[in-house]
Amino acid sequence: MQCSNMLLRKIVRSSVLPFTAQHGMKKDLFPLSRTLSLSLCLKQDKSCEPSGKLDLDEWKKVMKSGLQEEVSETVSEPKELSSLAAARETLDMWRLAGRAVPENISEEQLKAFMECPSKSAKKKYLKYLHVKELHKKNDKRKMDEKRERRLEAQNQASNTDEMKKSSFVCLWSSTMDKAYNWRVAQSMIFGQPLVFDMSYEKEMSVREVTNTVRQIVISESCNRRSVDPFHIHFCNFKDDSLYHREFIKHYREAWGKLLITVTDQCYTEVFPKDKLIYLTADSPKVMKTFDHNKIYIVGSMVDKSIKTGVSLSRAKRLGLETAALPLEKYLLWSTGAKNLTLDQMMRILLTLKDTADWKKALEFVPRRKYSGFVNKPVKELKTTLHLINTLKLGKGREEAKKQFTKNHPKK
Amino acid sequence: VQPPQKPLQAEEWNKLREDFQLPEIFEEVMLNNMIRCNSPIDVAKSLLTHLAKRNGDIAYNVLVKYLTLCVRQGQVSEILDVYDIMKVRFKILESGAYNLLIKGLSNSDQWRMALTLLEEVKKIMIPSRTCYESCIKAASRHQEMKLAFELYKEMLAKDVVPTLDVLQSFFNFSRGMKGAELQKELFGILLYLRENQIYPHETFMWSIKLWFESIPGGNWRGHLTNIKDSGKCPVCKHQLEDSNLTEEEYSNLSERIIKDVIHGTDTFRKTSPKEFEAFQTFMENRHPFDIVIDGLNVSHIKSGKMQCENLLDAVNSLAKDNARLLVLGRKHMLMNSSNWKREIMKEMQNKADFFFAENISEDDAFLLYATLRSGKHCKFVTRDFLRDHKACLSDSLTRHLFRKWQRGHQIAFSSAEGKIFPLFFSQQPAFRYDCVVQTSGDTWHIPYKDVFEEKYSYQVPRKWLCIQQK
Repeated sequence: MQCSNMLLRKIVRSSVLPFTAQHGMKKDLFPLSRTLSLSLCLKQDKSCEPSGKLDLDEWKKVMKSGLQEEVSETVSEPKELSSLAAARETLDMWRLAGRAVPENISEEQLKAFMECPSKSAKKKYLKYLHVKELHKKNDKRKMDEKRERRLEAQNQASNTDEMKKSSFVCLWSSTMDKAYNWRVAQSMIFGQPLVFDMSYEKEMSVREVTNTVRQIVISESCNRRSVDPFHIHFCNFKDDSLYHREFIKHYREAWGKLLITVTDQCYTEVFPKDKLIYLTADSPKVMKTFDHNKIYIVGSMVDKSIKTGVSLSRAKRLGLETAALPLEKYLLWSTGAKNLTLDQMMRILLTLKDTADWKKALEFVPRRKYSGFVNKPVKELKTTLHLINTLKLGKGREEAKKQFTKNHPKK
Repeated sequence: VQPPQKPLQAEEWNKLREDFQLPEIFEEVMLNNMIRCNSPIDVAKSLLTHLAKRNGDIAYNVLVKYLTLCVRQGQVSEILDVYDIMKVRFKILESGAYNLLIKGLSNSDQWRMALTLLEEVKKIMIPSRTCYESCIKAASRHQEMKLAFELYKEMLAKDVVPTLDVLQSFFNFSRGMKGAELQKELFGILLYLRENQIYPHETFMWSIKLWFESIPGGNWRGHLTNIKDSGKCPVCKHQLEDSNLTEEEYSNLSERIIKDVIHGTDTFRKTSPKEFEAFQTFMENRHPFDIVIDGLNVSHIKSGKMQCENLLDAVNSLAKDNARLLVLGRKHMLMNSSNWKREIMKEMQNKADFFFAENISEDDAFLLYATLRSGKHCKFVTRDFLRDHKACLSDSLTRHLFRKWQRGHQIAFSSAEGKIFPLFFSQQPAFRYDCVVQTSGDTWHIPYKDVFEEKYSYQVPRKWLCIQQK
């Protein structure tokens, strides 16, 4: 450093500078001035470092200075925010604060958000929208990747240009659809009826109705693809109900062409009462076999809050027979409610109808809900389970041991 | 990562950031750790300076985190600076930042600023309870009791529930202050405790006691005491309020139980209209009962014994003194089975009236109805806490009535050493006096709980503060 300074001083002192200045050769002057300023800078830095002072409030200056233009902008429009805009504003702030808030929100969703009765309801709704948005984004990303891969593959294929020859006729999905529809049409004439009771709209929230409809849509497609479909009836179906609107959202124009029977009548008006069996998890009766001459009724209801006995009370009122699936008898239940989703019910019923095999049918019960199939007498299993639990908890270990020796005497 | 001890230069921060696994969230993690370790504020400042230089901007959540640190350390000028920056940068703030700002400013001599901020919050949302609490405490700390009470009332009007802490601060800060108006307001808080069946904890109780004793010219004296089962206060010999419901409360409760618990949204859910009607006529054709027994519940007291024998034991032990008994059961009890022997059932039917509901009906609903229908003297026997039925009642006032009635009328059996004996619900004898804050004008009786005492919602405290005016 010293060295260069010395050099600079020399240069300045020497006659070169006056000479260049005289001749107006600015070009030559530039490198000189740059070195000058640089050295000055370096000097300053050096003088700063020993004291180690940091301007700790510098960030405030930065924050304030960068904002001058924006500030004037906001000041120029002091108008009151409408409630919708204010809500949007709040959401923006929540997002900035790092809460689970969707990036884009429609007017309709914003209104739904404002109508939420409590703070926690608002939070929940936003989280739901946020997660939904994430899923959508991920799906889109995956689709794009897939398309790219397909294009690449196509390019390669066109390069090699190899025509595949196959002796099989390619079955397009439309052809398959025709075959399925044929079967369902057959079932509408000769098939066994299966009733969805659509009278639970009042018991459900909007989200629950949406979920119900989605489950029914899946059930319907399962039924359509099965070997021997049911003849599906939607009973107690009111036109322009929330159910109806949701179905139209899902099926669009296909709703009118669905091969199912939709009626606003009750099942008791359509079918003889003694043939009806209401399937409900609360029923005290357990189903033993699948009866091909009966008409089973499934309640189209999703209850996220626990409302026990709603469908049982419906059946009681109409004096119908009820039944529950023999879940306890065949499965070692571990966690979760015994009520299954509508599509799981549909798959179970279809399998029972075709095979009458409970084990096969109950494979559609979600795996997380049970720990295994029963292959020993239930009573024996229950005692061992009880023993395991008491041993695990360490409660009454002595008692458990005694019972164990009693149950398993040494021979 | 451990936050550094002293402010760092930009290069040093950069180095730390690069060494961190996830550089994108480095600042957040670092600030979180600073909050946890309560690092010196200069360290956080140096990080912010580094950030500002690097990005030319500081994200909102980082600012809020910095604000948390400032509030934690009571750095008032910093809080004000951050607020200024936020105000120009964002149109409105979210609740987290407002909470922090109000909390931070209310603890300083700038506390009036917290009040203006509260006004600002009100424009866009209902302020949180911490906001109100900070402001109320600040106002009462500066002896502005009128303002504090205004905020308190506003809070209640908005259904924001105050904590015991805030209620206690009213008593602490009005100690020794004069004024009939103020006294009325504080009595109002005690009545709020009464209405919501809130029991103050021990330190709160001391605040109340000290306040009473400090009223100039009030001549109040407080004593800690236990109330006898008779309900007479040993200190002032005053008789506490009766635990029985008033006629109006009683009929109100019975009505609501029939409406909300038995019928609910659909009578078929717990019983059926036909069955309920049959039960009603059954009740009308008989004299009021003294004790109603939940047969199935009682039959499970002792495992390893036949269910009907358990029930017989219970009936025998209650059948003394010519008490009129009603046993509620289900129809399956009448089927001769290993647990339900026909002869024993016959024997019991001579000693008590029986009503058998359908196997899928809820017998608890009948239990409640039968007891309430029989009148105020009637008690009922079950080990069930009846929480699900309490939950069916639609408003908190009726739920409180239910609990109060339950405390005085439920008997639970317990078995020990091969014998069974009746015990009142919640392991406490049924109180003849009502366990709530109460006053007779020149006395106050306030039940309180120990700070460390574990209290279940069905249990009531046994310790009392007796305050009397001499």
